[in-house]
Order: sequence, then C-alpha cells, then structure tokens
Amino acid sequence: MTLIEPRKHGDASDGSLGSRLSRLDGRRKITGSATYALEQPVENLVHAVLVQSTIASGRVVSVDKAAAEALPGVLMVLTPDKVFNMMVASDWFGNRVENVPYLPLPAEVNYYGQAVAAVIAETFEQARDAARLVKVHYEETPAVTVIDQGGSGTVTAPMTVEWGDAQAAFDTADITIEAEYRTPREYHVPIEPHGLIASWQDDQLTIWEPSQWTHGMARTYAEWFEIPFENVRIISPFIGGGFGSKGGAYFYGAVAALAARELARPVKLAVTRSQGFTAYGGRASTRQTLKLGASADGVLQAVIHRGANETSTYADFHEGTGAATPIMYAVNNFSSQQGLIKVNTVTPGALRAPGKNPSAYGIECAIDELSYAVGIDPLEIRLRNYADHDYQSGKPWSTRKLREALLAGAERFGWSNRSAAPRSMRDGRTLIGWGIGCGTFPNLTNSSDAMIRILSDGSVEVESAGIDMGQGTYTIVAQTAADALGVSVDRVDVKLGDSVSAGAPVAGGSMLAGSITGAVHKAAQAAREELIGLALNAPNSPFSTSGANTLVIENGRIKTSREDSPSMSIGELMAMLGREKLEVKRDTLPEGTTREEQQKAFTHMSKVRGPTAGEFSIHSWGAHFIEVRVDEDFGTVRVSRIVSAFDCGRLYNPKLAESQLRGGIIMGIGQALLEEGLVDARNGRVVNNNLGDYLVPTNADVPPIEILSVGEPDFEASVLGGKGVGEVGIVGVAPAIANAVFHATGKRVRDLPITLEKLI
Amino acid sequence: MTHSIPLTLDINGSPHTLSVEPRVTLLDALREQLQLTGTKKGCDQGQCGACTVLVDGRRVLSCLTLAVQAEGCEITTIEGIAGENGDLHPVQAAFLEHDAFQCGYCTPGQILSAVACIREGHAGSDAEIREYMSGNLCRCGAYNTIVGAVRQAAEASR
Repeated sequence: MTLIEPRKHGDASDGSLGSRLSRLDGRRKITGSATYALEQPVENLVHAVLVQSTIASGRVVSVDKAAAEALPGVLMVLTPDKVFNMMVASDWFGNRVENVPYLPLPAEVNYYGQAVAAVIAETFEQARDAARLVKVHYEETPAVTVIDQGGSGTVTAPMTVEWGDAQAAFDTADITIEAEYRTPREYHVPIEPHGLIASWQDDQLTIWEPSQWTHGMARTYAEWFEIPFENVRIISPFIGGGFGSKGGAYFYGAVAALAARELARPVKLAVTRSQGFTAYGGRASTRQTLKLGASADGVLQAVIHRGANETSTYADFHEGTGAATPIMYAVNNFSSQQGLIKVNTVTPGALRAPGKNPSAYGIECAIDELSYAVGIDPLEIRLRNYADHDYQSGKPWSTRKLREALLAGAERFGWSNRSAAPRSMRDGRTLIGWGIGCGTFPNLTNSSDAMIRILSDGSVEVESAGIDMGQGTYTIVAQTAADALGVSVDRVDVKLGDSVSAGAPVAGGSMLAGSITGAVHKAAQAAREELIGLALNAPNSPFSTSGANTLVIENGRIKTSREDSPSMSIGELMAMLGREKLEVKRDTLPEGTTREEQQKAFTHMSKVRGPTAGEFSIHSWGAHFIEVRVDEDFGTVRVSRIVSAFDCGRLYNPKLAESQLRGGIIMGIGQALLEEGLVDARNGRVVNNNLGDYLVPTNADVPPIEILSVGEPDFEASVLGGKGVGEVGIVGVAPAIANAVFHATGKRVRDLPITLEKLI
Repeated sequence: MTHSIPLTLDINGSPHTLSVEPRVTLLDALREQLQLTGTKKGCDQGQCGACTVLVDGRRVLSCLTLAVQAEGCEITTIEGIAGENGDLHPVQAAFLEHDAFQCGYCTPGQILSAVACIREGHAGSDAEIREYMSGNLCRCGAYNTIVGAVRQAAEASR
C-alpha cells in the first residue's frame, strides 16, 4: 500500500481532502434540478400500482379483476395466477438456488401487506383508482403476528460467542445485574419513497431506481430475467435517502420490469408511503437479556447475553443483538447467543447500524445499571473497564480513541457537574437527567474501481458506479481526485450512480467512502504520472531542456520543482499533444484478479472483509452525552442537549461528516422516544403505516448537537485513513437517552420507545 | 371521472396550459405533466411536507391540493425562487453554506417553507424556527443546519 501524506490539513474550505468544502451536488438539490429516479422524463410511460394482501397467512384463491379492468386506461392487472418466465436470483453473498422460478406476486401469503396484484394503466390516477377495485379472495391460515407469540426461537449456533467461563464468574461475582431490553420494529422511511421506472429495448433493460448499490441490483435484475449483466443498466444519480433500504432489488422491481416487457412500454411503479412499511423490511423487533457480574469496585467479571430477533416465516434475517456486546469492555468471561423467532412479517432488513444498534442499546444500558449497583459514576465504570484490545478476537485495535472520546465529550458536556443520584437535578417541575451511551461500528472493506478522464481543456471527470444518497460521495471523490492530481476541486466533475461505470461496493455498512476514495486516489495518481511522463517526453516539451526527470502538478499547472521553472497547464499539454482525452482506470482489487472475480467483488458481498480479517481489529467508535428534560406531571421527555465525540479516523470532509453523524444521532432520538411499528396482533397489520402515526423526529424534537472528532488517520482501515461515519452515529444514542431518563426520573424503561405512559 | 378539464396555472410567473382530470393533485400535475419535478412526493397524504409550494405566498401541501383548485393563484415552486440570472435566493444560499440537507429530497419543501416562515415573521428565534419548520420532515436529520440556515437568511432579510 502506498501512502501519500495529504497535501493539506485543517478545516479550511479550500477544497482539499479534509477541508470543509460545501456539497458539490448541493446547488442541484437546492434548485430542484437534481433528478431522482421517478422524475426521469421517459416517453410513452405507463403507471403501475400495487395491491397488498389483507391477511397475514394463507393463499390467494382468486382475484376478481373485472371491475378494475373495466375502468378507462387500465392496460393490465397482474395476479398470482399469471406465470412469467423468471428465475430466483442469488443472495447478497452469491449463493443461488438454480432453476427455481421466481414469483414476484406469489399466491402464498406470508404477511399482511404482501403484494398480491398490480394494476397498470395509462395514468397514475387510473391505476390507483383501479387498484382499489381489485377484489382478492383468500384462504386464511393461522398466523404468528408478533414476536411474543413466536416462542423462544431457534438459536443460531454460528453467532454464539464464548470465552472463559461466564456462568461460573457470574455466580461468584460480588455484584450482579440482570435485565431484559426490547426494541420494536423500526422503519427506514426515507423521504423519497421506493419505486422505479423500467424500460426495455430488445433485451436491454434500463432501470431508473434509487439504489445504494447499482452493481448488486443490476446483477439481481439480470439473474431474474436470465440476461447478461451487461444488458441491465441501473441509473441512480440521486437517492432520496436509503438508510439500508435501497441496497437491493425487491419484488416490485420485478413487477415493473415484467409489466414493461409484456406491454412493450416503460412502466413507472411508485410504492406508496403506506405500502413501503411492508414492501421491504425494516429493523426487526428484538429482545435481549443481559447478566453482568462485577467485583465490588465495578470491574467486570462476566457478561452473559441472550438475544433474539423476529424474522419472517420464509427467510432468516439476523439482527445481531450480540454484535457490539463482545467488544465494548474488558471482560475475561463472556457468553452470547442469538436466536431467531419466526413471525408472519416481511423479512426484516438492514437499517442503520444493523445489529450494532440494538446490541449497544442492551450493553450500554446494562453497564449504566451496573454503575448504579456498584455506586460509581457511569463515566468512571466505562473507563475502569476500558478494553485495551479486542477481547473477542484477541487482536490489537488498529485505533480506538474511545477513551479520548469519553474524556473529550465529558469535558465539553460538563459531566463533572452531574449530581449522581436519580431525581436530583431539576428545573421547577422539570426533571433533568444526564446519560452516556457508547457506540461502535466495524470497519468493513471492499475493493473499488474508478475511471479518471482528463479532458482537452484540462478539466477532470471521475466516474464510478458508487452512489451518493447524501453521505457526500460526490464531494469527497472530487476532493480526492483534485488532491492526487494537483488540480483545483472546481475542475473536477464526478459522475456516480450508473451501473455501466467502474464498479463499487454497496453504500452500506459504512464501506463505500473508504473503498471509493482508495480507487479514485490510485487512478488519479496514475493519471498524474501519465501526464508528467507525457509532458516530459512530448516533442517541443518546455521541460526537455530543464534536466528534470520528474515534474509536479500544482493547481492544474505542470512544472519542475524549481522556482524559475517553465510551466504549462494540463489543458495546454493536452492541446500540445492533440489529445481529446486521457483515460486512466484503476481498481484496488488484488493483483491478478480475474474478470469473473472482479465482477463478483462488485456485485456480491462475498469479498467484503470484516473488521478482524487482518492482524488488527478495526472499528469506528463514539460516545454520546445527552441531557433530557422530563415533565414530572406528564412524563413527556425532551432531549435538550447532546455532545457526541467520535473516532472515525480521518474525516475526508468534516462539514459533511458532521451532518451525517448528526443524522444518525437524530435517528437515534427517534428510536429512543418515538419510533415503533405497531402491529395489530389479530391480523399482523402494521397499523401506523404512515408518517403521521409512525413518528420520526421533527425539527422541534431536536436540540443543538455538538460533534467532536477525536480520530486520527487509520491506514489499516482504508487507503486514505478514514473509518466509517454513516452507521456509527446512531449507535449508543438510545441507551444514552434511556440512561438520562433513568437519571432524571429514577425509572428504568427497558423497552423502546420511552413514551410518556411508561413514565407516569 | 375521466374527462379532463383545460386549465391554466400561473407557475413561477408564467402561465402553463394543461388538461387534467379533476382528481389530479397539484403535485402530480407539476411532476407528471409539467416536468416541474423539483416539488417532491414524500407521502402523498399531507404528512411530510416534501411537496410544499407557495400558493399566493402561503405554504401549501401540493399533494392535498387539486390542480383545479390552484387556477387563478400564483404558484411558486423551487424552480422559481432563484433570480433570473441564476443568483440563488438567500434561503437557498444559506442552505448550501450550512449544509442544511443531505439526500436533498425534502429540501425543496424545506426551502419554500423557510421562505414563507421568514415572511410570516416566524423566524425570530431558534425555538420559533424549529416550531414553524416542523411541518417538513427530514429523515437525514439536517435539522440543526436548517435552523442555522433559516436564522441566517432571516437576519439578512431584516
């Protein structure tokens, strides 16, 4: 690995990597000219609307579509009895069951809100109103609708983590606590609903769909329709929020593409806001029991963790409630198991910091409970049990500035002014509480490919299939290329979100930024070397008599390192050479990777390296300090102050990274106080399937949030030293709030969200 | 239900002639017929604020407004608030400077809401801005910087 010191440091807005450059795609977003998937102008478009099941379990016996078909403009009603020639696609890891037909609208119903029909019409209004007239007849079978009906579940053995003798150490510990923590179903609800436009030209399929992973989704469509990967093009330059929900192609994409093929017209399918609660999975509900044993002075002796999450009746999804538990604290005796409980729900999915999020809720509340049982400060107990290495893998941390985060956060928050006893801080009838919660997310890595194109005027294009859903990819890619090439950032144009471009991994698991900047850096360096070689060797080169054997490029001008050097702009060099463009493509795959393996790396997860794949254990870290104010009479909780300190390694653009971290924290406020998918136990219906009833934080719910960065470049984590930012922000927020509520009120609420009826 | 009504809508200072069924919302007319896609559909049921436009200067949810209701009104969308020379509206400029958005999907609604919020005189303090901007959800969580941007634009307008 070649490491190049960043040219500049600091927080200037000069555009170099590490500076607080404003979002380069910002102007398009604030003027309304950023075009999202469903806004693509496509000729001859027709509209599809889904019909969802009203039972939780059973099968569709018949569909009465006559009334719908009779409406003007209706072109087609798709139902389970219509069979299409599609095949099941491989999963994220590349496993595929061969020759199994894929049924996007199956007759078998596994959950309330499963799509059972689709209406396609000339206009949206025609399709919407016709969809209401589709009558579905079912044969209903008994369902398990909520996690508590599902029994104790099945333990997933590979997720078991054990070392030492946890039970024995727990049994002999001076002080023990035991508690169960629960989280409900939670939903991504990006403000841009899901949907797509599908269009065929012969056997070429073009899909405009918000995508966190254009290569992975193109692979799924190709496998469904049994056409070559190259025949599918996913176009997704702007994504209106994803949070994990837009990483894969779902059944409705197949429905739209099928309809488009049948009708030989482009089809737009917009999943409605309410349909989105069951068209793909949110975060599974979880429950976990933690037993902690400690010495009288608060040194952990044992951690015993037993967790479970709901999954669907037809697929397994693990929301690993033990994901953070083993790495947060120093402990010599540890035991964790994870189970699955089958419920009639859509298969849950990855929502911001999957696993780590509910896991940290458990362990960070439990450690807080232990601090009161021991009688020491919640900050002190975390420092006293600080893990100097990864006790799970036995490996050293690459970088772990969690202690620095705790100390810097405490200092900034004024933690030392905290009065220890619950209910001891108040402002009139308002109880005040302060709480801490720590967070972590593993550093996942994968390779990327990147294309750098130097144009005749000396400007630069960077192309990648990677995406920007608001994390700032456009901006940090431009900054990376500008730095490595020696041009100013306003000379760099970045094109993202097109599956025909150079490959990139999913924008998920906080892995895209580290991956894509590595490839862009490598390609840009190679382009720079090529420019310098051309400048030295060109006929009539002004440098031929300079005696220099290498050149530098600064601010777009090529010169020697001498003060009196002649110089020329990149555009002048291109003109001198008569070149229209110069293209350089580089990837960060291992040398000698075959074309087939390369394809796998970008279309599957099988090449993703986990945090302990090498000799170190690599993670992002955070510590949240949160103040809540609780109305003593009404039990209403307001978050009034947050200071959060993070170790995310080097921040490529602190302005954008802070925004992303705040976004995670705000989603954590929602998780702690507002968000809960309410399921009608009689039929499995998500009753609050809209933004008026499934509450997410509004502006008035959110106090000023101060972000501190205590990280330093971690070159084990990525080529340019950054660790992940997107996921870690939310991790630890809910326990910090729960701990603050306990401090304010003396009431320990162990099931999220903390709503007023649980406090009065 | 399927007969269309000829309609002229005054959008961003220009007349737009179209033919819509009575059941077509202003939001869908803007997005599907006029290709004014800067106005966003976030929920289609009046809960998220992404479709906010100004009708005669007041903020209105275009998903809960029928296109035919808007005839004879002055409609302003995100495409219409920058200067003709491309100069950003002070609220737009403040949003960019403060990084008051991430994915950008709620942003046009936030900006139009902010323009009205300032004009209404509801941007006197951070607490007031937070309250009067709470009809516009931002799932990326840009609320801190939205408040900063609205405050700056409000101060500049005084």
